[in-house]
Amino acid sequence: MSIFEYNGSAVVAMVGKNCFAIASDRRLGVNLQTIATDFQRIHKIHPKLYIGLSGLATDVQTLSQKLAFRHKLYVLREERDMRPETFASLVSALLYEKRFGPYLCMPVIAGLGDDNVPFICTMDCLGAKELAKDFVVSGTASESLYGACESMFKADMEPDELFETISQALLASVDRDCLSGWGGHVLLVTPTEVHEKTLKGRMD
Amino acid sequence: MGDSQYSFSLTTFSPSGKLVQIEHALMAVGSGQTSLGIKAANGVVIATEKKLPSILVDETSVQKIQLLTTDIGVVYSGMGPDSRVLVRKSRKQAQQYFRLYRESIPVTQLVRETATVMQEFTQSGGVRPFGVSLLVAGYDDNGPQLFQVDPSGSYFSWKASAMGKNVSNAKTFLEKRYTDDMELDDAVHTAILTLKEGFEGQISSKNIEIGIIGTDRNFRVLTPAEIDDYLAEVE
Amino acid sequence: MSTPEVGVPRKGGFNFDLCRRNEMLFSKGIKPPSFLKTGTTIVGLVFKDGVVLGADTRATEGPIVADKNCEKIHYMAPNIYCCGAGTAADTEAVTDMISSQLQMHRYATGRESRVVTSLTLLKSHLFSYQGHVSAALVLGGVDVTGPHLHTIYPHGSTDTLPYATMGSGSLAAMAVFESKYKEGLTREEGIELVAEAICSGIFNDLGSGSNVDVCVITKGKTEYLRSHQLPNPRTYVSSKGYTFSKGLTEVLSTKITPLKQKQADTVPEGGDFMEE
Repeated sequence: MSIFEYNGSAVVAMVGKNCFAIASDRRLGVNLQTIATDFQRIHKIHPKLYIGLSGLATDVQTLSQKLAFRHKLYVLREERDMRPETFASLVSALLYEKRFGPYLCMPVIAGLGDDNVPFICTMDCLGAKELAKDFVVSGTASESLYGACESMFKADMEPDELFETISQALLASVDRDCLSGWGGHVLLVTPTEVHEKTLKGRMD
Repeated sequence: MGDSQYSFSLTTFSPSGKLVQIEHALMAVGSGQTSLGIKAANGVVIATEKKLPSILVDETSVQKIQLLTTDIGVVYSGMGPDSRVLVRKSRKQAQQYFRLYRESIPVTQLVRETATVMQEFTQSGGVRPFGVSLLVAGYDDNGPQLFQVDPSGSYFSWKASAMGKNVSNAKTFLEKRYTDDMELDDAVHTAILTLKEGFEGQISSKNIEIGIIGTDRNFRVLTPAEIDDYLAEVE
Repeated sequence: MSTPEVGVPRKGGFNFDLCRRNEMLFSKGIKPPSFLKTGTTIVGLVFKDGVVLGADTRATEGPIVADKNCEKIHYMAPNIYCCGAGTAADTEAVTDMISSQLQMHRYATGRESRVVTSLTLLKSHLFSYQGHVSAALVLGGVDVTGPHLHTIYPHGSTDTLPYATMGSGSLAAMAVFESKYKEGLTREEGIELVAEAICSGIFNDLGSGSNVDVCVITKGKTEYLRSHQLPNPRTYVSSKGYTFSKGLTEVLSTKITPLKQKQADTVPEGGDFMEE
């Protein structure tokens, strides 16, 4: 069994027109047993920047706390919020520092940059950045997410449509993965608003 | 050492609350060659005189204005060798920032890091303060920036500043000439005129140095030919 | 013992805190994670006036294509570039680190970087990690002593060659070079041969795929031709795509937070902000 299969996870981010959405499942398991159905894998860095972490839950929480800490320090020092690109580089540097004893989780970063240009990217657990213009996925359901997103994604979606697309892609994918599911958590960020929604999903 | 025993230990306050070694360091700056900087609306200029101990020294081998990053330059007044240490540390700091964030370091951040080093050298054992003041010129997301850093580790953002020999004359001159809407070219002219004020002997492209940065965010040291052109314009 | 991580940022170097724990997990039969690899075909050749480097753009994670259009030609110096194969994080990190060192070296010397300088810096780093930093590189550039091409293996050994290939598609690419390379190629011939070698990797090696990136370095000029050829366009686009009607997904709860509009940076003097 791979270490990523211990807790199970599904994280996905998609780009729309001047907006983005990031979604994750809500299951926390230990192997095949479900422990919690309201687990948070998406963490707010600032209102326009989010990081979703798939993989080992203990490292997800440790890393998200460290990142929140580093961002707060940055804000105090530089009196500005981090740009998504800058934050991605920071995450990458932090992960690569542990090259020979890595955090066992993979980040998905999504944010709105200057002029509300959406930015998404993902990394492996060593911090190798993978930038994308359309969507990024990660977690045990990543294979089915790749398939769902490849067919469902369209360029320049409006917020409403983006929400439906990412939700359907997520729900469809986790239904083909035993280790993730139990509904979903979706964040839709537009230049003016943040929509935070919980989705109803299968409970088996 | 006229200031009694307190001038001996770097880290001991005198009864009047002064750290005399730092004041001595400022004296070293004050007797150094004049440097100045002007922040224009669309860029920054820093300039310095480059007097060499003998005409036998090859003036092309001496560079007083140096780059810290592609968009930040620095000039010093005071002890040249001391400045090299700060330049080296600052460049490394800038690279470290870049490696972490993949973004060039904002001028304020670099200046603070440099100032931190200078402060450490006023409070550590076995060291002495730096005998230099720095003028740091750069252009970042917050526009053109000009900072002066002193041996104590204090730093300020300036619209225009001068240091070294003739500070007071140069500052008075700058106060008179400075305007908020100054363009970079005007600033270069003003910088040359200010240097000329207290200059001993004939000013030429061989005995001054000028560094500029404009909206292209590319700091560069002017070539002697370019300085000659500017000199001809202010004649 | 490392100091508590309050004094950030750390000044570089690796951190081994999690090694023990991970080792424990893996010894209990849990598989270690797979890393993002660049299966990769990377090549380079020396032509009449300089060096041409080439790379495919596929990144893989096991059998999955993780990135269909990644960049494998890394910047080292204005006159030096480096193609990377192996663990993606390693190739990225090692080239970034050395390019930073080269930049500082340029400031110190006031001269253009030499290819051998980057070669030596890269190989001594890789050698000191005894192959654990798994980066296989093709390094090319033009300096004061002319055009140079080198390959660097993960253990730190190097070759100096007129034409070179690396990565899982190296054999496919080398087959093309061996049959068609000759001395004194022109720029156009060089680019064409490199593109052909990369295509050979793309089509015959499963670890390589997607597009052809090319970088041409000549004296005083560097051209990065990103997506020089696109031999694998997407063929399965449906013209309409899926459309989901609004309200299709069952939502349990919704929370809407309005975002504060960006104000002109909180300037201390003068309280009133400009309307954007």
